[in-house]
Amino acid sequence: MLKDITLGQYFPGSSIIHRMDPRIKLILLFCFITALLMANHALTYAGVLLFLALAVAVSRIKPKALFKGMRPMLFIVIFTAVLNIFYTPGEPLVSFWVFNIAAEGIERAVFMALRLTMLISATFMLTYTTSPIFLSDALARLMSPLAKLKIPVHEFAMMMTIALRFIPTIIEETDKIMSAQKARGADFETGNLFRRAKALIPLLVPLFVGAFRRADDLAVAMECRCYHGGEGRTRMKQLHMTAEDAAVLTGGLLLLSGLTVLGRLGWFIP
Amino acid sequence: MNEIIRFDDVTYSYAEGSAPALDGVTLAIRQGETVAVLGHNGSGKSTLAKMLNGLLTPASGTVAVCGMDTKDESRLLDIRQKVGLVFQNPDNQIVATVVEEDVAFALENLGVPPPEIRERVDAALRDVGMLEYREHAPHRLSGGQKQRVAIAGALAMDPLVLAMDEPTAMLDPKGRGEVMETVRRLNRERGVTVVMVTHHMNEAALCGRVVVMDRGKVKLDGPPGDVFSRAGELQSLGLSVPQTVALAQGLGLDAAPLTEEECAELIFKEFSRC
Ligand SMILES: Nc1ncnc2c1ncn2[C@@H]1O[C@H](COP(=O)(O)OP(=O)(O)OP(=O)(O)O)[C@@H](O)[C@H]1O
Ligand SMILES: [Mg+2]
Repeated sequence: MLKDITLGQYFPGSSIIHRMDPRIKLILLFCFITALLMANHALTYAGVLLFLALAVAVSRIKPKALFKGMRPMLFIVIFTAVLNIFYTPGEPLVSFWVFNIAAEGIERAVFMALRLTMLISATFMLTYTTSPIFLSDALARLMSPLAKLKIPVHEFAMMMTIALRFIPTIIEETDKIMSAQKARGADFETGNLFRRAKALIPLLVPLFVGAFRRADDLAVAMECRCYHGGEGRTRMKQLHMTAEDAAVLTGGLLLLSGLTVLGRLGWFIP
Repeated sequence: MNEIIRFDDVTYSYAEGSAPALDGVTLAIRQGETVAVLGHNGSGKSTLAKMLNGLLTPASGTVAVCGMDTKDESRLLDIRQKVGLVFQNPDNQIVATVVEEDVAFALENLGVPPPEIRERVDAALRDVGMLEYREHAPHRLSGGQKQRVAIAGALAMDPLVLAMDEPTAMLDPKGRGEVMETVRRLNRERGVTVVMVTHHMNEAALCGRVVVMDRGKVKLDGPPGDVFSRAGELQSLGLSVPQTVALAQGLGLDAAPLTEEECAELIFKEFSRC
């Protein structure tokens, strides 16, 4: 069951989006989110949605995989939508007890849900099409100017790489400990919240102890391989911007900034 | 032969007042040797291994690697590069999410130019027979494969010595075989000096030299044939002898055969005589 977690998962492929320099993907994602947050009309929403749909189509990522990744977030989306339905003031269409539902509320809820879904899908598009190592690398490079402000960029990137490396190992270990505890009669699935939380203690303790031992071992192993921080470090794989990358970046930026401006100013949209 | 590592009267203890983990160890490791380090639990084997590349430095005495004192911090990177150290748990020493990235780790730390890293990574992976797995995720590999990746990670530095602390302890027999075969081939073909801590007598029997530790001291040191023929002494140090030796001695033969063939031949000769 734990194996179903798709967080940070990567589906290798060879589409333009897979090949694209991860720095560009990050920049485009950032612009996409800006455009999305600025959108305030059905037409701009449609524009942003079209952009996303195009990206999904080009990447050949199956929409099914996107929906699967979305499942754990569904609760947040629905929760936000419901809140919006009830808390948006307006002429009530239906009202009972202290609740009023207005047409504005329904409209807002729909757009809110759309906005969140698109935001999450776009982020998944990035992690699904980019190997984690390139992703953390790209983040580190984009943030490298911050190193001048004494922000430990290299250390953060290293932390991210190590976290990505150990997530599967620790998930595997969790599964193993859970099976071992179940074999001894532990019960993780029934009882109220309090009882279930309590049942997790014998799972969490060995997990934490194990994680600290791993961290200790890893630090020694890194030292043995001459790790001494980010200073003077080179990378085997270099990031290269190609002409194709530049074209996609320009096109994407134009589209998204157009959408952003439209969304903000609401020009010629009645 | 060329001396690569030299221990001179090395003493070390982890906490003040506790029994020393190493107690007056003097030892020389020469180029091209394969050295097995044996000893019961807590006899100081891991401490000795961590002295080899300056992870620990002696409280008294000196450890020198190619003439460089491990206490000299300015030479630490040189020393670490000369002595690659691999540990027991392969899961806890692989840093990256892709095999080849992990093997590149040491070279990236050393600031080697990218094209050269690429070459050396491929060469190291080829040397351990893992080249075709270079784009795999480490957590999907078997134990023996992971440990070979860890060895490649050390090997990429082009070290003179490959030191390993119980590299096969967490592996199944198949994984153990893979790792031992890889290590022996590296020694034979690449001339890499090997120091390996082990609990498996049959692995020690494959090495050219066996060092037996007890309570921080080196008790026996010599070719496996000599060391294993002293079964009584080994027993008093809490160790057994390889099964082949035990068989020969159980039959009342005064010899220490190290491989199954040797053993079979010895028994055949002995019993065809009468
Ligand atoms: N980090 C530590 N802190 C305190 N004492 C330690 C530490 N590591 C080892 N020791 C002690 O030092 C002594 C030698 O330990 P060492 O790990 O070198 O033995 P070993 O021969 O490798 O044993 P094993 O076969 O169990 O791996 C032991 O008495 C041990 O308890
Ligand atoms: Mg040990």
